[in-house]
Amino acid sequence: MSTLSEESRQIVASLAHRVGPNADIAKVAQAIASLLQDMDAALTPIIGQQGVAALYRRSLQLCASHHPRLARTYDSVQASLDLIALKSVIVEQSETDALFFGETLLMTFYELLTTLIGPSLTARLLRGVWDPSLSDTPSQETSP
Amino acid sequence: MSTKVTINRLATGVPGLDEVLGGGLPEFSFNLIAGPPGCGKTTLAHQMMFALATPERPALFFTVLGEPPLKMLRYQQQFDFFDSEAINHSIRYINLAADTLAGNLDEVLRRIVSEVETHSPALVFVDSFRSVVLASQTQDNPNNNLPQFVQQLGMLMTTWQATTFLIGEYFTETDTNPIFTVADGLIWLRQSVQRNSMVRKMEIMKMRGQPTLPGLHTFRIATSGIKVFAPAALNPVEAPLEFPIKRLKMGVPQLDAMLGGGLPRGYSLLVAGPSGSGKSILAATFLAEGARNGETGVIAVFEQRPNHSQNATLAGLIQSGQVGLVDSRAPDLSIDEIVQLLLSEITRLKATRVVIDSLSGFELALAPTFREDFRESLSRMVTALTSVGVSVLLTSELEDRYTDLRFSPYGTAFLTDAIIVQRYIEVQSRLLRIMAVVKVRASAHSDELRLYRIDDNGLQIGDMLPDQEGLLGGRPTRHRLGCDNG
Repeated sequence: MSTLSEESRQIVASLAHRVGPNADIAKVAQAIASLLQDMDAALTPIIGQQGVAALYRRSLQLCASHHPRLARTYDSVQASLDLIALKSVIVEQSETDALFFGETLLMTFYELLTTLIGPSLTARLLRGVWDPSLSDTPSQETSP
Repeated sequence: MSTKVTINRLATGVPGLDEVLGGGLPEFSFNLIAGPPGCGKTTLAHQMMFALATPERPALFFTVLGEPPLKMLRYQQQFDFFDSEAINHSIRYINLAADTLAGNLDEVLRRIVSEVETHSPALVFVDSFRSVVLASQTQDNPNNNLPQFVQQLGMLMTTWQATTFLIGEYFTETDTNPIFTVADGLIWLRQSVQRNSMVRKMEIMKMRGQPTLPGLHTFRIATSGIKVFAPAALNPVEAPLEFPIKRLKMGVPQLDAMLGGGLPRGYSLLVAGPSGSGKSILAATFLAEGARNGETGVIAVFEQRPNHSQNATLAGLIQSGQVGLVDSRAPDLSIDEIVQLLLSEITRLKATRVVIDSLSGFELALAPTFREDFRESLSRMVTALTSVGVSVLLTSELEDRYTDLRFSPYGTAFLTDAIIVQRYIEVQSRLLRIMAVVKVRASAHSDELRLYRIDDNGLQIGDMLPDQEGLLGGRPTRHRLGCDNG
């Protein structure tokens, strides 16, 4: 699945871009939350709030079943799309674990949507999320 | 110069629908697409949307409660017309589930209006409108007035120059739903189920200011989307018969002589006879003779195993492209679908000769719901074909019943311009075949009953049997010449 791995690289790069240099756990948590927020913003008008929430819940469940090592973390995340609660769980991790968690969750979410509406439409709907020029989050984060 | 308003008619992008609508969809009209679940409402809406939306004049597709948008996107992608690149570009989906759940129609209307004002769409879809209705019913807020909602929506959308479609279900035609009054167009989709067959039908119940084609029109849903089979447009002024009549050769010289010099061009000819009497061979000869003279032909076969009943000559003609084959194994055919298949082949090949082999198979291929009107269907097919100027040969299986002389089992003999009948007779313990020309409209023809046989070169017409009588009874007796006098 070469296209998917390309999308995965895009997700990883986008996350890294939002975390910026001098990563600390708070920035990582913020970056993950902001990406999820942007995905939510892109999808909610089309599939509705409940549709996005259901995708998020399923993504969490898939993450936990594929990565038992992080199952405990996923279990402690609330299944509703509550970004404040999510961040509070993330900041308790090590930076490496938190990044892995974020990448896995975002990729799983993306793959899940792909299985439902196909790669081209998924890419089309989420195009704006990964584009660094469309997001001013990192600059906000680097200036505390 | 006329100062009256000109209503633009939009090409819907659904094959056949513009014809049924009477020339396309009126711009800025307010329409309802109704029908039971699974009848293709959402698909019809999507197909029109992808055909009509542009980045400058986009389409807004409001999803209300009904089908979850995720599923809709998943399934609509299966159609060829779905273009992912158009989403968020010329097509926007807007989910109103939360607003509808609250049951406040004013709020739903406000959301729709604000989105319409933002995007200035050319097309607006609300799917499904039924959930809006239901949501309004659960509220006892007196402000939730459905007629008012519909009336305002209709007014606002037209003012904003948006062509609008509400997609609904379960409406009964006798309902006094306010939407029926407000809507400019009512497109009704149905599924007619009879025994094991299902036929999709569409009816334009109303389309303001449009000469729509009345009645039920069959359609199919394939991966290319919806295709409506509009009845063939008939040429209102049929070309008068030219004298001297131009005639086509049948490929059997003696038969041409019996027909008075060949089959008049543009005639329909019924070849009726029992099983194995050589009707298909005659039909193939007719096409081969055309090909020999540089004419092209079309054959429609309605057999379970068409390849097995084809003779070598015909197979060769089809192979070489001189004869087009219409061999629709699609179940539950409608007459309009068959006519359309035939006409498109005729146009493609500029064909002049058409063969329908056979009417019995054709009747079986039709969906049961159309069989009751078989005679009417046949009449429409023959008219549609002859009105484009082709000569048609139809074969008809005829049970050999020696007590009555019939030319087709359907009482359709009057429909065709010419009739050839074939019979078996028993003479001296042999089964012989005889053939006669029964009718050639506006032309002299032979009245002879001629023996014929079939060999490797096709039909060979022989002599009459003047010493036999009662041939049509199947068991002729020797006519004793001169015995009466002696």
